[in-house]
Amino acid sequence: MDPSEVEFLAEKETVKVIPNFSLDKIYLIGGDLGPFNPGLPVDVPVWLALNLKQRQKCRIVPPEWMDADKLEEIREQERKEDAFSPVPSCHYMELTKLLLNHAADDIPRADEIRTLVKDIWDTRIAKLRLSADRFVGQQEAHARLDNLTLMEINTTRDFLLDSLNSMHKLRANLQPGKSQDY
Amino acid sequence: RTMADALSDAGDLSGGEGSQDDVMTPAELIARLEEAWLNEKFSPELLESKSELVECVMEQLTHMEENLQRVRKGDLKASVHHMEIGRIRYVLSSYLRSRLQKIEKFFPHVLEKEKSRADGDPSFLSPEEFAFAKEYLANTEVYLKAVALRHMPPNLQSIDMLKAIPEPCLDSFVFLRVKERQEKILVEPETDEQREYVVDLEEGSQHLMRYRTIAPLVANGAVQLI
Amino acid sequence: MDTRSYMPVPPGVGTEENVFSLDDILLSQERLPCRTESVFPGLGFVDKSSDSRHIPEGTKMEIPLWLAKGLYERKRRVISVELPRVYREGWRTVFGADANVVDLHTMGPYYYGLGSQMLHFDSPENSEIAQCVLQTFIGRFRRTMDSSQNAYNEDTSVLVEKLDCLERALFRAGQSGLNAFQLWEKGLASHLTASSLVTNYRKRKLADLQA
Repeated sequence: MDPSEVEFLAEKETVKVIPNFSLDKIYLIGGDLGPFNPGLPVDVPVWLALNLKQRQKCRIVPPEWMDADKLEEIREQERKEDAFSPVPSCHYMELTKLLLNHAADDIPRADEIRTLVKDIWDTRIAKLRLSADRFVGQQEAHARLDNLTLMEINTTRDFLLDSLNSMHKLRANLQPGKSQDY
Repeated sequence: RTMADALSDAGDLSGGEGSQDDVMTPAELIARLEEAWLNEKFSPELLESKSELVECVMEQLTHMEENLQRVRKGDLKASVHHMEIGRIRYVLSSYLRSRLQKIEKFFPHVLEKEKSRADGDPSFLSPEEFAFAKEYLANTEVYLKAVALRHMPPNLQSIDMLKAIPEPCLDSFVFLRVKERQEKILVEPETDEQREYVVDLEEGSQHLMRYRTIAPLVANGAVQLI
Repeated sequence: MDTRSYMPVPPGVGTEENVFSLDDILLSQERLPCRTESVFPGLGFVDKSSDSRHIPEGTKMEIPLWLAKGLYERKRRVISVELPRVYREGWRTVFGADANVVDLHTMGPYYYGLGSQMLHFDSPENSEIAQCVLQTFIGRFRRTMDSSQNAYNEDTSVLVEKLDCLERALFRAGQSGLNAFQLWEKGLASHLTASSLVTNYRKRKLADLQA
């Protein structure tokens, strides 16, 4: 999967915006939105929030977790533990990029947030590699990966799955005559 | 007729026209399409075609586009609708495209499976996909004959596509998220020293395991490939 | 976006070979040391070093894997196939000690593929070979992974130099995952570019017009 498709999925997440226009309810195929009143916060999908922002029709309220102090705590937690810590959002990486690139003026301490999220990402990717190596080394058959996000899985998917499949075939060599039935 | 009139009836369309399923809201319909899209992208084999789902989504899109024609250009509401339509169309065509890619990759096996299907069992291919697969096979054979096989000694001029084209590897590992809790899923050992064991798949949990183990759960929607 | 219209067939990796895999075709050309176990009448011309009309029994020669597989039969001994050095006990001990130090490209380059194919020849050492090939893959996995994940925008030739062909394919898979992510992160992923096919077509059309 291309990362832009993962981003596409992240754009379905909802975010609060404060519009500067009024408009009654929009009946989208995927559900209703609005009504929009100037100054009144309303939930919309990120794809719409970014579009409204680009047209200067709203201010975006950053998600609660997109806060330098909170992210610093998360980063420390992530660095302290060997296991993957719970993430603030299953699209934390994509949302950070999207909101900081298009609405940095609505987000306090944007640069710090960018660095913190990158730190969290790097720590988690390092853990991902460690666990991939362990999974391969011990020839495990099953792993539970509750806190991994789609973007994290996606960066290593092809490599890891191709490796596991190659390993499976090399292991099938150990049982001569036992042909793999499909 | 105002914009609101034109569009307010989009919300209460029944999605499952012609299906025996309970009536789906359009939002559920779109959610189903996205699930089918990701499952198709990540499963090693071609999954059952969701022709009916595709049709219903198409109906929704056509209906919405018809409504939008009556609205003047530059209308804010209309532009939001157009954006949504664009997103749904992307998922729809990416879904269909990833199926075509798999048909190209596994065409002899896909056709074989279709041939051996019992009467009354649902087809894995839509009628269009079936036509595509047959044509792809025929074209490949003609091409190979023209560029190579006809120059070979007579006893080497035939090629068994079922043997020549690798089958989908059901033993591939996949990532998945559990939608409905499953108990006692058997995990087969990888090595002689290991023993088989069972795992419970809790709702919302994520796993890395062999596709073969959970293929039925993908088919019935209990797990989602990610 | 992964919309290549041409999808190369990957190698079979195990004892199976894929007909349309370029890697498997190249693998089938690998030469194996063999000994004839019967007279090959009228085929003396194959062996350039001798003048005789026939290949006598007991002749040592190197033949490609595809031919060796074709001639080898368990019951009627026509040829016997020797293990290439890299799969013999001496080398297996080296791999067992530290698989990472071996230059698998020079020793291979189809170390895993050929190792799996050797199992067709019923050597008494088959199970040791299969075990060694598997353990070598596992032992080198971390290094293949790390090099493929740390090389964005760098010259990767040094990193892949000592990798076998299978490992190189994995290396590339790792690289493209990493590159795609980093392009996305920099915001370069969203720009659509015309496919080279379209660009070339335009050029050709222009050339036609000018001609």
